[in-house]
Amino acid sequence: MDDHYPVPSAFSLLNQVLDEYHKSFGETWRSAKEDPTLTTWPYLLEALNKFQDPAEADKLLKIQRELDETKIILHKTIDSLLERGEKLDSLVEKSSDLSMASQMSVASDSPVHSSSSDDLAAFLDDELETVEEVEIEEASSSKGECDHPGSFGNMCFVCGKKLEETGVSFRYIHKEMRLNQDEISRLRDSDMGFLQRQRKLYLVLDLDHTLLNSTILRDLKPEEEYLYSHTHSLQDVSGGSLFKMEFMHMMTKLRPFVHSFLKEASEMFVMYIYTMGDRPYARQMAKLLDPKGEYFGDRIISRDDGTVRHQKSLDVVLGQESAVLILDDTENAWPNHKDNLIVIERYHFFASSCRQFDHKYKSLSELKSDESEPDGALATVLKVLKQAHALFFENVDEDISNKDVRLMLKQVRKEILKGCKVVFSRVFPTKAKPEDHPLWKMAEDLGATCATEVDASVTHVVAMEMGTEKARWAVREKKFVVHRGWIDAANYLWKKQPEENFSLEQLKKQQGTEEE
Amino acid sequence: MFFHIVLERNMQLHPRFFGRNLRENLVSKLMKDVEGTCSGRHGFVVAITGIESIGKGLIRDGTGFVTFPIKYQCVVFRPFKGEILEAVVTLVNKMGFFAEAGPVQIFVSKHLIPDDMEFQAGDMPNYTTSDGSVKIQKECEVRLKIIGTRVDATEIFCVGTIKDDFLGVINDPAAG
Repeated sequence: MDDHYPVPSAFSLLNQVLDEYHKSFGETWRSAKEDPTLTTWPYLLEALNKFQDPAEADKLLKIQRELDETKIILHKTIDSLLERGEKLDSLVEKSSDLSMASQMSVASDSPVHSSSSDDLAAFLDDELETVEEVEIEEASSSKGECDHPGSFGNMCFVCGKKLEETGVSFRYIHKEMRLNQDEISRLRDSDMGFLQRQRKLYLVLDLDHTLLNSTILRDLKPEEEYLYSHTHSLQDVSGGSLFKMEFMHMMTKLRPFVHSFLKEASEMFVMYIYTMGDRPYARQMAKLLDPKGEYFGDRIISRDDGTVRHQKSLDVVLGQESAVLILDDTENAWPNHKDNLIVIERYHFFASSCRQFDHKYKSLSELKSDESEPDGALATVLKVLKQAHALFFENVDEDISNKDVRLMLKQVRKEILKGCKVVFSRVFPTKAKPEDHPLWKMAEDLGATCATEVDASVTHVVAMEMGTEKARWAVREKKFVVHRGWIDAANYLWKKQPEENFSLEQLKKQQGTEEE
Repeated sequence: MFFHIVLERNMQLHPRFFGRNLRENLVSKLMKDVEGTCSGRHGFVVAITGIESIGKGLIRDGTGFVTFPIKYQCVVFRPFKGEILEAVVTLVNKMGFFAEAGPVQIFVSKHLIPDDMEFQAGDMPNYTTSDGSVKIQKECEVRLKIIGTRVDATEIFCVGTIKDDFLGVINDPAAG
């Protein structure tokens, strides 16, 4: 069997041959004895030859084949059409590029007609720079050289010239603001007239442990949980003193008397905030203390705005050093301005604050109590500030540029232990010179006279135990015997303290309870 | 000054955005990336007004991102030295005042404020003439001249003056 020969064609071939046979021989096959067709029928031979190609037999197959061919031709045609289309696209792109290039070369001569304003901007820049140079030359020849008092965004804010970074950065005013030293001095001097007219000085206030105490919510001890129900609303902060700020994960307690303090101080001082917290913290605290912005304005200096890390300085305060007072709980934060500083007792409201300073005592929140308002640290400091201020502006018409508030402060301090003569017994290490000891210096600052030997004029003996010679002498001569806490207390409370509260028996009692 | 210019940018698109809305995604990504940015050359891009063409995307090796070069039309704002602008005062202090003209921050120093205006401190600090007729305080509109500009990635800073003729307060909303 021939597999290549399609079956339908074979059958159609057979049918055709049969038909032909019928036509030529009719019914004679019935009676035939031998096969005549094989020799005498030429049609058969022809047919066999013709039908070697099956397509001849079966018309269907023929048409099918023709269709296939046509399809192939059509495919080829469409492919070539697509190719042509792509070629046309690339030609269009090339021509548009060429036209742009030609336009740009024209534009360099007449920018007004250019469609690309890249070059218009550049053209304007060039023209303006040449005009600027001419103008600056004229200006500088007529008005003199600009001395670049400061820069805003690295440009001199008087002449606009680009400057390298010089001077002091005043980030709390604007992050791009810098001022030259001369300009700072000029601003400070010109300020004096204003201060004179207003009868005001400058006061720089610390935040943490001075005006308020903050803690992270996570650090709250179980005994402090009750505070959650006592917090004041943040929408209207007046009248409140305990605030919870979820977005900062913090709780803040304002020191008692702080609102009255700020109100009264603002009448005598132009006030600054200077904190070691970051800027967002500083701004948030200012909102709590001064919701209307009337006390501090934009005078909020945070640690991001200071010039030296971990140190506070008056270099970014636009006021003469002779007219600035500082209120802070940490003396070491102000290495260069100890004379302007009033040290205040630390405000520990939260337990975390006590822990931070290694205090073994319970915090105010745990004891469910608070500093006394009329007798607290802020009230005391306010009195001192009033005294210093009064001394400064004593003579109404006097020119204040010669006065120094630091001297006023010293004067106020010297009143505290005036008239006392103090001898120290076994308080200082024997190797060191007693005059150099900070306690000696503190006593002298407070107005007391210090001596190393006892004599009739001595009023107080400072000792740490009763058995010393000087202590026994004092008891005999009916002089006061106190421990060093008496001097420290006078320093913090700005008032001479009753000596009975600082006797050595008291000290023993205290030490006894601590040991227990 | 405002300009309407054609800029080009190569935008990278993550394959998750491919599909029917490819073009829309590409355009919205472009708007998010470009509107509100600054460049030294063109200034501040205020708004995109139209897309001129989007080129064929090129697949990056290694990642599946596709980079499309897009040409778009936009309005840009660029201040120039010597230009006169109107601005709104935002802060007044003894060194001068700060004003804003849209995205541009301008500082006018006391040195470039007319000498007859004095600084008055208080809860609304301001600069006032000796006769009290003209006052510059927060929220005032002033006309000023730019004397220097500086551009960085997101902001433009300018230094201005009001010491010349026809410059100064235009409108004071606080005044009666």
